[in-house]
Amino acid sequence: MKILFNFSFLNKYYWYYLNGVKNTIFLTTLALFLGIILGMVLALCRLSKNKPLKYFSGLYIEVMRGTPLLVQIMILYYGITQFVPFPEIDFISSFLGYSSADFFAGAAAVALNSGAYVAEIIRAGIQSINKGQMEAARSLGLTHSMAMRHIIIPQAFKNILPALGNEFVTLIKETSIVSVIGIMELTKAGDIVRGATAKGFEPLLVTAAIYLTLTFTMSKLVGLLERRMAAGD
Amino acid sequence: MIEVNNLCKSFGKLNVLNSITTEIKKGEVVVIIGPSGSGKSTFLRCLNLLEQPTSGEIIFEGIPITSPKTNINLLRQKMGMVFQQFNLFPHMSVIDNITLAPVKLKRMTRQQAIEKAMDLLKRVGLEDKAYSYPGQLSGGQKQRIAIVRSLAMSPDVMLFDEPTSALDPEMVGEVLSVMKELAREGMTMVVVTHEMGFAKEVGTRVMFMDEGRIAEEGTPEEIFGNPQNPRTREFLSKVL
Repeated sequence: MKILFNFSFLNKYYWYYLNGVKNTIFLTTLALFLGIILGMVLALCRLSKNKPLKYFSGLYIEVMRGTPLLVQIMILYYGITQFVPFPEIDFISSFLGYSSADFFAGAAAVALNSGAYVAEIIRAGIQSINKGQMEAARSLGLTHSMAMRHIIIPQAFKNILPALGNEFVTLIKETSIVSVIGIMELTKAGDIVRGATAKGFEPLLVTAAIYLTLTFTMSKLVGLLERRMAAGD
Repeated sequence: MIEVNNLCKSFGKLNVLNSITTEIKKGEVVVIIGPSGSGKSTFLRCLNLLEQPTSGEIIFEGIPITSPKTNINLLRQKMGMVFQQFNLFPHMSVIDNITLAPVKLKRMTRQQAIEKAMDLLKRVGLEDKAYSYPGQLSGGQKQRIAIVRSLAMSPDVMLFDEPTSALDPEMVGEVLSVMKELAREGMTMVVVTHEMGFAKEVGTRVMFMDEGRIAEEGTPEEIFGNPQNPRTREFLSKVL
């Protein structure tokens, strides 16, 4: 009987996958970290009384959520980096086994997109805090920003932490799209193995299995976190 | 201490306050009563600008608080406020709830603030709750902590917005007795409440509000003993 699937290529090519997973995790973490900072700023602008800031952040969120990530990545990589090049940092490049400038461009594109979604998560988290909390803080003489920092955001953060965990899971999958600009992450690694082994199918199954392992583990961890937070209330 | 001139507040087309003029003097305990929707809470919330008045003037210790040039945060430090829903900060222990504002606003060092907080907690009989979290307290305990939190800033006036309305009946007494104690010490207080017993016993002046106006005001004896306005009479006959 003919062997249906043959994974013996892994003996020779497993290293590509390991490198890809490492870069995918690094890319996701970096993008989420930047996305959270951006999302925080956008959310605060969106909720502020300053009209221009409010409308700008609203517009940004609409544009980023209303256009495909793929198109955004290509605009950044083929368009914007021509005017504003990303830095090539040697030790990061050697850590990645790939051009760090390209990698940063990919991470930036994902972060700029994710920031819009994170902004909405944070905005909802802040708005879920009872209005009385802000009033009590202000009635004591705290300024608006002190009340935000000490009262509202710590409570909102607790509410949004699980949602941010889910955003991380989503980003693990979404970063696969930067393979179109050649960035050496998991999807691209699988693609290279396909080319090198001339096998069309099996390398993709390996790629998918690794993604599933990552996302499954992460969503279990998020679930655990959620239960622990609920117990803390 | 607080002078209010022609204060008006409307939410959209709804006029909640119609030209309120009054004065609250140092040491007074002004109790505001009236049917719901009469503007009692809105009036109280205007006094520390939690609601922005539509027009009119409020002068606190000689400073027009309604003027855009006034730093309202500084004035609010001298005006304590207690809310119907307590509004303790649930992510902080009782002691942190109390010391947050004095420390962050640099009125005291952390050590001084803790000492003062413990002192105040003793007075309301809750020193053993200093390191509990609000979620572990009963409604009456929460409200007493909320009062202490305001007192920690050593305010010149305390505003109470229906402080006992969200409490189980058996807890009303413990909160009212803290408020009575405060009044005895000479604290200037403005209290919106439905507790007519408290108004009679502690109030130096009772203000009856109806449809965004002060319909009648006077000593508790005058208002409860011999109300002049038919609306006051009607209201009192329903609640007493």
